[in-house]
Amino acid sequence: MTLEVVTDEISTARRNAGRLVIAAGSLLLVAAFAMQILYKSGTTTLGYETWRVVLYAYVAWGIALGIGQVLMRGEAGWRALFILPAVLFTVAMVIFPTLFGFYIAMTDWNLSSFSGRKFNGLANLWQMLADPYYRNALLNMVFYVLAVLVEYIVAFGLALLLNAQIRARKFFRVVFLLPLMLSPVAVSWMIGKSLMEYRFGPAAKLARWLGWDTPAFFATPEIARLSIMLLDAWTFIPFMMIMLLAGLQALPKDVMEAAHVDGATPWQAFWGVTFPLMLPVSITAVILRIIFKLKLADIVINVTSGGPGGATDTVTSFIFREYRDRSNVGYGTMLAMVYLILIIVFITLLLKFVSRWTRDVN
Amino acid sequence: MRKEVYDRLMMMQSSRRNVLKGAAAVGALAVGSSGIVGALTRPASAQDNLRAQILQIPGIGKGQPTDADFQKVGELCLAATKANVTEGEFAGVELTFMGLNNQNLHNVLFRGFLKPWEAYTGAKINWIDLAQADYNARLQQSIATGTVDFDILQMGAPFEGDVCGKGLTSEMPDWVKTQIDMQDVVSYLQPPVGTWDGKQYRITVDGDAHNFNYRTDVFSDAALAEAWKADAGDKAGLAEWGVPKTWQQVQATTKFLKGKQVGGQDVYGYLDAPKAWGGFGFYFLGSRASAYAKHPDDKAWLFDSDTMKPRINNPAWVRAIQDVIDALPSEPPDQINADPNQTAFQQFLAGTGSMVVWWGDVGSNVKTNDSSVVGDVTGFSILPGSDDVYNSKTSQWDKLPSGPNYAPNCAYIGWGIYVMARVDSDEKKKKAAWSAAAHLGGKDLSLWCAAYPSGFQPYRNSHFDIPEWVAAGYDEAFISSYLKSEADSYNHPNAAIEPRIPGIFQYYSVAEDELAKTFAGQGTAQEGADRIASAWEKITDQIGRENQIKLYKASLGM
Repeated sequence: MTLEVVTDEISTARRNAGRLVIAAGSLLLVAAFAMQILYKSGTTTLGYETWRVVLYAYVAWGIALGIGQVLMRGEAGWRALFILPAVLFTVAMVIFPTLFGFYIAMTDWNLSSFSGRKFNGLANLWQMLADPYYRNALLNMVFYVLAVLVEYIVAFGLALLLNAQIRARKFFRVVFLLPLMLSPVAVSWMIGKSLMEYRFGPAAKLARWLGWDTPAFFATPEIARLSIMLLDAWTFIPFMMIMLLAGLQALPKDVMEAAHVDGATPWQAFWGVTFPLMLPVSITAVILRIIFKLKLADIVINVTSGGPGGATDTVTSFIFREYRDRSNVGYGTMLAMVYLILIIVFITLLLKFVSRWTRDVN
Repeated sequence: MRKEVYDRLMMMQSSRRNVLKGAAAVGALAVGSSGIVGALTRPASAQDNLRAQILQIPGIGKGQPTDADFQKVGELCLAATKANVTEGEFAGVELTFMGLNNQNLHNVLFRGFLKPWEAYTGAKINWIDLAQADYNARLQQSIATGTVDFDILQMGAPFEGDVCGKGLTSEMPDWVKTQIDMQDVVSYLQPPVGTWDGKQYRITVDGDAHNFNYRTDVFSDAALAEAWKADAGDKAGLAEWGVPKTWQQVQATTKFLKGKQVGGQDVYGYLDAPKAWGGFGFYFLGSRASAYAKHPDDKAWLFDSDTMKPRINNPAWVRAIQDVIDALPSEPPDQINADPNQTAFQQFLAGTGSMVVWWGDVGSNVKTNDSSVVGDVTGFSILPGSDDVYNSKTSQWDKLPSGPNYAPNCAYIGWGIYVMARVDSDEKKKKAAWSAAAHLGGKDLSLWCAAYPSGFQPYRNSHFDIPEWVAAGYDEAFISSYLKSEADSYNHPNAAIEPRIPGIFQYYSVAEDELAKTFAGQGTAQEGADRIASAWEKITDQIGRENQIKLYKASLGM
């Protein structure tokens, strides 16, 4: 459906007035910005301590832009007004901070430094490439992301169970969702630091009863990484499960019935009908879960601080330490920006690969 | 005779008796002590009564104090405020206080203490509570972004370079110095601590030094003594089973205790804290290293004072790192994931491990914390020494003619209360802020903080009056041991003092990361130490080497 194109008769004078309003707003914004830059760099004495004046100029420019649109384009301008606030808000709250973040990433900015922030080009990037902690954290992320496949299998199994005609189905649906409702910080303390505590934790006691003499869940690299994966999986499997369950319930019943009539076994029906039909939902669930997984930090920070020896460190928990404990804002921002780009590239490639794969399957 | 007059007289007699009773113990202690646990015998007075009265709130062994107790103590200690401030003088003033809420202490107590102050003065206080690990980041961000949004700040001396050095704090008025009786503060916390460019900024509310906490039952156990005698392993000079006096003996006893039991329970030796703790965990390696690295002829021990070249990879520090690596297999199986909070509060107080190094909190919690099971079996001393000490100037290990080298680690130099310069433009607000801070740093209130779980240790000469503690309900032998360990640490001639240089926690934090790798078996102690040294050089260059050298020297009194 296309919108009806309205063509107003707009006089040249009105158009010029619109242009004038926008030009005045733009001039104000540029002037405010230039004044602050000159003031902050010490070139002039005219300016304000904070950058708030630029924000006010931006708001004024936004209003001028809106008025200008209406004056210049009439009905089409009024339509633009519906989208303009959202666009300006996004520019102010997302695009500008991201661009500013790239600038910060190219500075040597240690909060304790007496000389303040200094532009240092790509030095932070070269430092990052040689940083064994960052590489180690990236490698750990590969393991963490691979664990999503196991989580997916478990989630699919649970979704199939909850989709079946079992007793107290609604009760179980709510119960299985509970871990997702808990904050990962609470999970860290309740499970990581209490249930799995070496001396008194019930999980440790159970492990001892099962024959493991020293049930230290976070003392060796492999077991610690596995324990973190389990904690995280416990929290987020319900998220995948609920998406898959919704998908299962939306499957057309006639196809399933046809398979049944044709004499397919449950196994055949699953692989031949359910699984392929569930692929789009599955892919959405897995990709969203991977995005969540790439942000894993809170459980790691609380339970192991990235140890032992960096075995459980994630990129986010490393950035957290670099930024928070070492006040190394420039380098920490560079790490975060590179990670953002890596995530965007990875997810884009993954989506491309998946869409090609599903096309082939179908 | 009126009953209240009679009661008062009885109470005064009681105080005298306590003073006299304690004098013998104090005298005995003074023989072995270097100083301030001295005979403080003086006539009982109304002040004594007040101190005795607040120490009974709620009473030792009667559970942890509550907010009602904090308020009661705050109310009773208001006299000093009333002498300088009229009732309602600060009506309409609003102040913001930023501090910690660790273990439900610090700010949680301050709130209670300041409630009666607020009621009397008319001022209102808003609170910013921070977890220990968040403290550094919050403070640094406020400074760097020019968004200091608090008027009163709880801060440790290591941050003075970052805060006072940038002109963000208000200079202490003279009336405050008189109100808090600054002369009473122990000598190692006197200026230059708390000052910057000769100006006084800090009201000290805490004295910090790591002391050595050990289990008296373990080190007096007859069966262990027999086994020790029969043991063919290295005893590091500890001929008879007893409390280790050197780190070499700590290592030997820790290895010996692996697999041993006392009272049917597994007993472990020393408890290391290898897990990162926002930079604060580095202090615990520092305590293991100070006896090796702090030479009596050299004030510096972390960096070369002329160049800021790190000493972390010299043989002394490497030996300390190696000690941790060697001891970990004899410690509880999950020790590698233990941070200092765990070693003190979840392990030692709960009965796991027989030796731990910590700030004085272990001593103040061991009898008063509800979760402690070792109240009657804990002893204290200054940090263990070392048979030899590394001399950075000659690159040799020296054996001192006086015997083992001791070097108590005065880690963090204690918390203080600082008033921010942003109140200076408003005289009423400035006076209010300083009055609130002075109330928290008051002489009597501080005694209560030292005696109960508060997050603060003794820091005044008047805190070492043992009869006061005994009258409060402390066991005399226990409290004598505890206070002696604190006093001897503060007054030790070879104490290892922390440098008050900007960004000190960056150095510690990056070291924690490298140490975690080393303790997990990734490379040797020397390799790990070299990596720390390299990272420290980068931080020094980033912050500014010349400035750091200047401040490091100043902080060491050089």
